[in-house]
Amino acid sequence: MPQAIDFGKLLSLFSYDKYDPLLFGSSLFLFFFLFVLLVQRLFSNQKALRIYSLLFFSLFFYYKAAGIYLLLLVFSSAFNFYFGKLIYESKTALLKKIFFITALLVNLGLLGYFKYTNFFLQILTDLKLGTIEPLHIFLPIGISFFTFKALSYVIEIYLEMFEPVKSFRDFSLFIFFFPNVLMGPIDRASVFLPQIEEDNPITKEDVGRALFLISCGLIKKYAIADYIALNFDERVFGFPLRFTGVENLLAIYGRALQGYCDFSGYTDMALGVGLLLGYKLMDNFNRPFKATSVGDYWRRWHLSLSTWLLDYLFKPLQISFRSMRKWGTALAIFFTFFAVGLWHGPNWTFIFFGILHSVYLIFGMFTQSLRKKFTDSIKITGTKFHKFLQVVFTFHLLAFTAILFGSPSLQYTLDMLHQIFTFFHPEVFPQFVQAYTTVFVLIVFGYVVHFLPKSIEVKAQNLVIKMPVVFQAVLFAVVIWIVVQFKSAAMMPFIYFQF
Amino acid sequence: MISEKLRQVILKELELKEFNLQDETLASQVPGWDSLNHINIILAIEKGFGIKFKGLEILKAKNIGDLQKLIDSKIPS
Repeated sequence: MPQAIDFGKLLSLFSYDKYDPLLFGSSLFLFFFLFVLLVQRLFSNQKALRIYSLLFFSLFFYYKAAGIYLLLLVFSSAFNFYFGKLIYESKTALLKKIFFITALLVNLGLLGYFKYTNFFLQILTDLKLGTIEPLHIFLPIGISFFTFKALSYVIEIYLEMFEPVKSFRDFSLFIFFFPNVLMGPIDRASVFLPQIEEDNPITKEDVGRALFLISCGLIKKYAIADYIALNFDERVFGFPLRFTGVENLLAIYGRALQGYCDFSGYTDMALGVGLLLGYKLMDNFNRPFKATSVGDYWRRWHLSLSTWLLDYLFKPLQISFRSMRKWGTALAIFFTFFAVGLWHGPNWTFIFFGILHSVYLIFGMFTQSLRKKFTDSIKITGTKFHKFLQVVFTFHLLAFTAILFGSPSLQYTLDMLHQIFTFFHPEVFPQFVQAYTTVFVLIVFGYVVHFLPKSIEVKAQNLVIKMPVVFQAVLFAVVIWIVVQFKSAAMMPFIYFQF
Repeated sequence: MISEKLRQVILKELELKEFNLQDETLASQVPGWDSLNHINIILAIEKGFGIKFKGLEILKAKNIGDLQKLIDSKIPS
């Protein structure tokens, strides 16, 4: 007997479920996206309909992740569109400034209310300034990302780098655009909005590149990051004292790779999905572990955030503190990285993570000439060996911050360090390789691929672009097959969803 | 046009012997002009020309040509 369709179940696919957003890589997302592509294709000659349908799909996508807080996204779009215009049209510098500061306060105020209220209440309680019960505040997913995206618009208008767009429809697409609304990249208005205007057709090259990116993203996220996290890292980070120092150290190496594969995997997918819709999003990563200094690392990791903060926070601070010369720059670095930490969330581990990065950078700045003198004296400046040392040393400085990033609280960080420095037991290593063979192979594989020359990636990408469509389809099927082999029953949320 | 004086101030601060600075040259295209060094160049220009910039004016400058215009606007002709 044929089964009756359960309409209740069907309906639930379209309604908000806190625990079930439309994750890239889920089968529901695949159907959703195929439908979106079909509609876009159907309206290929009608730009307005294409944009309106994309707005609708983006709102649905956000609704699936945040429910009624969809209204906040709509408010952000309307408010910033209107204030962009007000700033631009103001006749006097004073009025311009008033509108600009209002826009900053409203955007940052909303972000602060949803993200940090309970954190500050907790601080007040800890300082015994009063006991205030934490409030029930829902954190609208992606708020840090879309707020920064919207802020780039008003800031660039204030700095006269960009003129406001006339179309509220186009501006809303910039804010709502589903590939980057939840986890970035934090695209710049001045780069994204002209693309809507130009309306460039999608080329065969775009399709090939998108396929390559989505494949890389799926493998990074599901075959590497999730597998390492579930089968090894979460266990060690959850109970560091149950493991030896060598396992803790390997978990930290694993965690650094996992963090990168999780976030850059998501970005690759976002970029690929964007390309198939005709939009080029900002790239976020450039092999961060190849960095030769912590400064270099921030030119390779989460670029859309680091360049945002560099342009809109660091530079203005540095200019205001310029009479203090190097100390002024040091202060600007400190405030910027304090903001980096706080941006990641209301937790002391994130704040220490940011402060630690600022300490690295400030120390690096003050010792630059001293370090050069030293490497000159032992005649290694600029040699391959010098670069190798720099990469290894920088990586370990970063791995150390990865402990803070991955620990539920500072106590766990201290426990891990305690195990590494007092209970190392290197003889456990062969047993580890035997017990966690797949994890070990994946970690090694991940790092080896990361350190391959960029030219190999370009060649692989060109190969996919030039492939006949049939081969592309087979390749994609193989990737999905691999991902399914690795994928656990329960999908892990992306780490950066919480920000 | 980038004036000889501005060219000299920038090259001296960056310890460069020669570099072709054009109106549309971006800071990122000049060797050594990074985010940390940026402020030293601004300070050197302020000192060299005996002028004082407003923070917002410097942030608005997109390339070296803009910087030249800004300097010109501050020096009485």
